[in-house]
Amino acid sequence: MSKLVSGALSLAFLVLPMSAVAQQLEVSLIEQGEELYRKQCAVCHQDSGVGNPPTFPALSGNDQLEDSGRVIRSIHLGRGRMPPFPNLTAEEVLSIASYIRNTWANDFGGVTTEEVTAAREGLDSSGPVGSVWDGVITEAQATRGQVAYSGACGSCHGRRLNGAPDDPDMRSTPPLARARFMRIWEGRSLATLFEYTRASMPEDNPDSLGDQEYVDIIAYMLTVGGMPNGDTELSPDSQSLAQILIQPEP
Amino acid sequence: MAMKKEHPVGDSKPEKEKGLNRRDFVKSGVAAGLGAGGALLEPSKAQAQVPPAGVASADWHYEVDVVIAGGGCAGLTAAIRARDLGASVLVVDQNFDVGGRMLHSGAWVSFGGGDPVQLRDMKGESDSEGFITVDPLENPEELDDNIELLFTDITDWSVVDPKGQNPYRYNERELVRAWAENCPATRQFMMDNYVRFTRVTGTHGGGGLSRARAARCFLMLGDKTDIKAGTITAEDAGVADFERTSPFAPVQMNDASRSVGPNAVMNGVALSRSLEFSAREKGVEFMLHRSFDAIVREEPFVGRTQGITAHYSPRHHPETGELLQSFWQNGNIDERRETVNIRARQAVILASGGHAGNPEVRSMFYPALREPAFPTSGNALQGSQGQDASALIAGMRVGANLAGMQQNLSYSTTFHISTRLGTRDAYTSMMPGHPTFGFRGSAGVNVGSAGFEEFIAVNQVGKRFFSEVRLPARPGLNAYPGDRGAPGRGLEHKPLDWRNCRKEWVREMYNYDHGLDAALAMNEGSEAPDYYSGPLWAIFDQDAVERTGWELHYPYVSDNGYFFQADTIEELASKIVAGHEFQRVPLSYLAETVANWNSYVDAGVDPEFEREADAPMSRIATPPFYALSIMVIWHDSYGGLRVNGRQQVVDTQGEVIPGLYAGGEAVGGFNKHGLGKGHVHGYIAGTHAVEEPSI
Repeated sequence: MSKLVSGALSLAFLVLPMSAVAQQLEVSLIEQGEELYRKQCAVCHQDSGVGNPPTFPALSGNDQLEDSGRVIRSIHLGRGRMPPFPNLTAEEVLSIASYIRNTWANDFGGVTTEEVTAAREGLDSSGPVGSVWDGVITEAQATRGQVAYSGACGSCHGRRLNGAPDDPDMRSTPPLARARFMRIWEGRSLATLFEYTRASMPEDNPDSLGDQEYVDIIAYMLTVGGMPNGDTELSPDSQSLAQILIQPEP
Repeated sequence: MAMKKEHPVGDSKPEKEKGLNRRDFVKSGVAAGLGAGGALLEPSKAQAQVPPAGVASADWHYEVDVVIAGGGCAGLTAAIRARDLGASVLVVDQNFDVGGRMLHSGAWVSFGGGDPVQLRDMKGESDSEGFITVDPLENPEELDDNIELLFTDITDWSVVDPKGQNPYRYNERELVRAWAENCPATRQFMMDNYVRFTRVTGTHGGGGLSRARAARCFLMLGDKTDIKAGTITAEDAGVADFERTSPFAPVQMNDASRSVGPNAVMNGVALSRSLEFSAREKGVEFMLHRSFDAIVREEPFVGRTQGITAHYSPRHHPETGELLQSFWQNGNIDERRETVNIRARQAVILASGGHAGNPEVRSMFYPALREPAFPTSGNALQGSQGQDASALIAGMRVGANLAGMQQNLSYSTTFHISTRLGTRDAYTSMMPGHPTFGFRGSAGVNVGSAGFEEFIAVNQVGKRFFSEVRLPARPGLNAYPGDRGAPGRGLEHKPLDWRNCRKEWVREMYNYDHGLDAALAMNEGSEAPDYYSGPLWAIFDQDAVERTGWELHYPYVSDNGYFFQADTIEELASKIVAGHEFQRVPLSYLAETVANWNSYVDAGVDPEFEREADAPMSRIATPPFYALSIMVIWHDSYGGLRVNGRQQVVDTQGEVIPGLYAGGEAVGGFNKHGLGKGHVHGYIAGTHAVEEPSI
């Protein structure tokens, strides 16, 4: 099933009066949305939708979710520091939107025909999506990243990037490379990693590095994880980083 | 003590000594009363601890104004302070080099109260030498501190911690008040003695939640190591080669580019060596290899403090056998007599550390931790007489009261399970190149908490005892920035109101992890009279190594009894029994445990500890199979001598013991982690010691 057919099918049911069949489909759509939300969104907005304001806005009880077109466009195109998700199909975006508009403290219901039209216009801009294994970094960038990492990240995430600080007085932290990192981050894009990192790290002083340093550090993380070098550097730009997915080694 | 051999590294041991227990020692006469605290002492040394009741004037071997037991953060600070104020000062230390635990620390010095580095960073200024080239890391409102706020911040038991037992509530308020009032002056004092502080960033655990108060200590990489100039070579700093440390710096220094600027390195080396350099320059004298035993008082429980006795405690190079030498020699007194009596004309300051290295004394706080398999942190650096409760034992013998005896239980770093596996000394970082590396033999593999998802952990009989994933968990620390009481970061901190916490936090705080207690629980291998729980082992296979990239080679692991490798589980079990000093019983259940585990992995369910809820589970099936030791660390010492706000030791009648002072981990009643407490104690003690009449 192509994503357009799938998306159109779901949309059709959502705008119909609530027949028994439609209700059943909507439940499955919301279940799909919940699963996708947990994978793609909860890293910032939390499973409970409370986020961590002001860095990561709460979605639960957020009136801006009433505008479903805005929700759909935000997921697909990004908004402010929220990364775009061009890799998600129309159905997937709609499922997430349906889920977050109708869970926790939210009860915004289905979507209207006008909103669907607006949303579909937005969804047309989806482009090709690549992988971290496509040679998306350079050696020079990773070397710069290692220097930045050493000063800003190494004391907590450790010299081996395994979450073991060199100072035994400090607690363990999440690994930033290898199997465990891949397990947590697989399926997300580098844009999500970039925006999450610069909004929340270093933990005691988030957003205190330059954007170029953050993306260089990501290049270093990928190098330690065994991802190959290529001809061009990662750019500190969410739109282009969103085109690169963290995926298992092919 | 019930260990199989005195010298663990590369030394074989007759089978009959295995499982030697405390009763055997009592029979053989080693464990004599409190002196056996020195479970780690040889018989002659233990006897040397008997206090001399009234030393005749002719029996004094040395005489100074102020004698200080211990050259760590409290002792060295006190020494310089007393020397500055005109006293002659002798520091006695059991180790071969100066610095105690400060030398291998991270140099997180948390003061506050409006101290000079807080003020410097508020103004956005650099340090006086212009080394700091980065902007302040904290906003001015996060640094806007005063003594009242600092005092209430660590006496309120507000901001209840996740263990539901905020240690602050038990603090002696007079002690904390004195500490808070002396924080700004102590910061300045240290800066006046060559200590360079980074930008302030957050606090260190126990430093209070309402303001940013901690700075670390740094030096600049340069062509030569020169404390006056503030420089250190890459080789001395240990950053030239990550698998080597230098005699100057037992642990490698860390990158300080973010809190200072390019080419800055930081940790306890920058702190300890700077203070030591200043002390030696100012004429403080040191008697090393000398372990403090007893306080000499006019009468056992009455009268002035007259001095101390101390015995020779030489440390020899583990490979060459040569007597170990301190890095700097100026000011050293080379004294090798078995026992010397040192008269103090004005005062004795006890700064010889806590009790974390003395299993016998530890049992008064947590009986299961009489288990000698688990040492204190940095035991290779400090040796068997480091953290041996000498101040507590000697103080009790002249009538001192104790304080804060329950506070070990209320701080999460005190005892915890280390994420560094495969070494006995699992809370420090010496590498080959520092003379004490040989005492540990391996640096260990720090797998982080995430690494605990990759193996099963078994006890001395080879049975699992807890969800491995939750084993290294420790409840959160009171530290800034938290989400409970920092400017602009959540709940507003209200001084003098104990209720500074969220309702949810009160509920959450009872839900902490008991992995450490499970690790120390009795099992089928626990035998009377001590019922030791025995060592702990991480068991995994070659696939886990592939997943994690763990470096299972020298110097991280070695053939020192803390790392084993075999082609079958059965062979692995027998190698552990043959090769580990505290493995007193066979790992009878190991093969069965691994088989069960593999069946759990196949079924996707761990019926014993529900590990599937926390992390994926992996079979242990691809040889070779490995075992790395898992260590319980007793790090901090809380609970110790009762002192007043002048650091004078107080007896059980509430009376000051004249001429006797104590600071740092030797004292109780003040739960604050780390160096910030010890330096201020030393500063206060040094100040008041010289006010004592000279006798």
